Amino acid sequence: MAQRLFIYPLYQIGNPQLRIFRPPFSLTLVRPGKEQPQDTVQFRIPMEMTKCDVRNYLEKIYNVPVGAVRTRIQYCTNKKRNHLNQKVKRPDYKVAYVQLAQQQTFEFPDIFTEKDVKSAEGSVEEMQEKFMEDEKQRQKPDLRRGGVTEWFGL
Amino acid sequence: MAATSVGRVLTLCRQFQNAFRISTSLAVQQSALTLTKSQSYLDRLTYPLLSSNWHCHVGQCRPLHTTISRRGLEGFFDIPENWGEATVKSGAPWTAKQLRTKSNEDLHKLWYVLLKEKNMLLTIEQESKRQRIQMPSPERLKKIERSMKRLDTVVKEREDALRLLQTGQERARPGAWRKDIFGRVYWYRFREHALPWYMNKRYKRKRFYTPLFVTPHIRLRLEKHLRAKTRIQNKEREKQTVLQEKFPQIKAQSS
Repeated sequence: MAQRLFIYPLYQIGNPQLRIFRPPFSLTLVRPGKEQPQDTVQFRIPMEMTKCDVRNYLEKIYNVPVGAVRTRIQYCTNKKRNHLNQKVKRPDYKVAYVQLAQQQTFEFPDIFTEKDVKSAEGSVEEMQEKFMEDEKQRQKPDLRRGGVTEWFGL
Repeated sequence: MAATSVGRVLTLCRQFQNAFRISTSLAVQQSALTLTKSQSYLDRLTYPLLSSNWHCHVGQCRPLHTTISRRGLEGFFDIPENWGEATVKSGAPWTAKQLRTKSNEDLHKLWYVLLKEKNMLLTIEQESKRQRIQMPSPERLKKIERSMKRLDTVVKEREDALRLLQTGQERARPGAWRKDIFGRVYWYRFREHALPWYMNKRYKRKRFYTPLFVTPHIRLRLEKHLRAKTRIQNKEREKQTVLQEKFPQIKAQSS
């Protein structure tokens, strides 16, 4: 993203609208740390982007109707030290809170749900799984003892 | 594979839909080539970003729905089949040689495809860090970054060639060789200003000339540099003589 370091051309009243072809900015959709309203989507954006940039980006590239955009810069610590006792800076980042227009809602989905994989009948994996389950059953304590461990006699 | 690839090509970004329909069989051939590259964006074809007048290759494609659900924010996530997988297959990154065969329109579209893919991968990476799970196939990010860099290089080459042919200018941004306060000569790149330079107070503070009292410092700096250079040369020569003594059969290295 920082490969193309350029200064934006000077704008004076009457100049044509600045257009950027092939934008080098990438957005990251993040799960909000604090509870956000249903229509708010939280992004991490590069420092160089503005609210107008975010709005145009989402509308043109992702076709998302954007209502309001608010940004803030998150300062990250410079206090941590590495094994050489040098201060290590965690890079700062800009956060954008985008409210969707047209009364739309967005909920951050759960991407890493474990899928239940049923292995094939009669295969080695199935026998192994069955064996492991039997072992676990055998390890469980006797329920009739009411939670008392085997260490106590009787 | 080519047929399905053709269909898949047409699921590129909505705003390029029209342009794409104009270009005919040539683009189709090219796109078939392009699609064998990054498998990852092949997998993203359940894009609900189609308009209903996309008609040609429906039967050969993966089933697509034309309703725009979630209003495009689904572009930030992988297709639901890949959620929860440990690894996701992806193809090789684009090489500069392959990219040079593509037209400007194709490169433009490819840039946006790569950009959206990159956003998706960054989202997954951040979410995996939050959930403290390993991200599936993190090498995809590197591939995308390299492809984008090479695309940039190719476009820059074309722009340079065009500018050289049309105007004869070697550099896009004008500049000049200037001396700074310390007597060092460097390439100063011009900036755009609203005022002429003689009215710009901040610019005048910069001083593109060397005051006279800096001359002794320049001499000392030159001496230091020459001393360092001679030291390296002498060390190298000594090393060679020692080697010659130990191993007389070695031919003396000419450096």
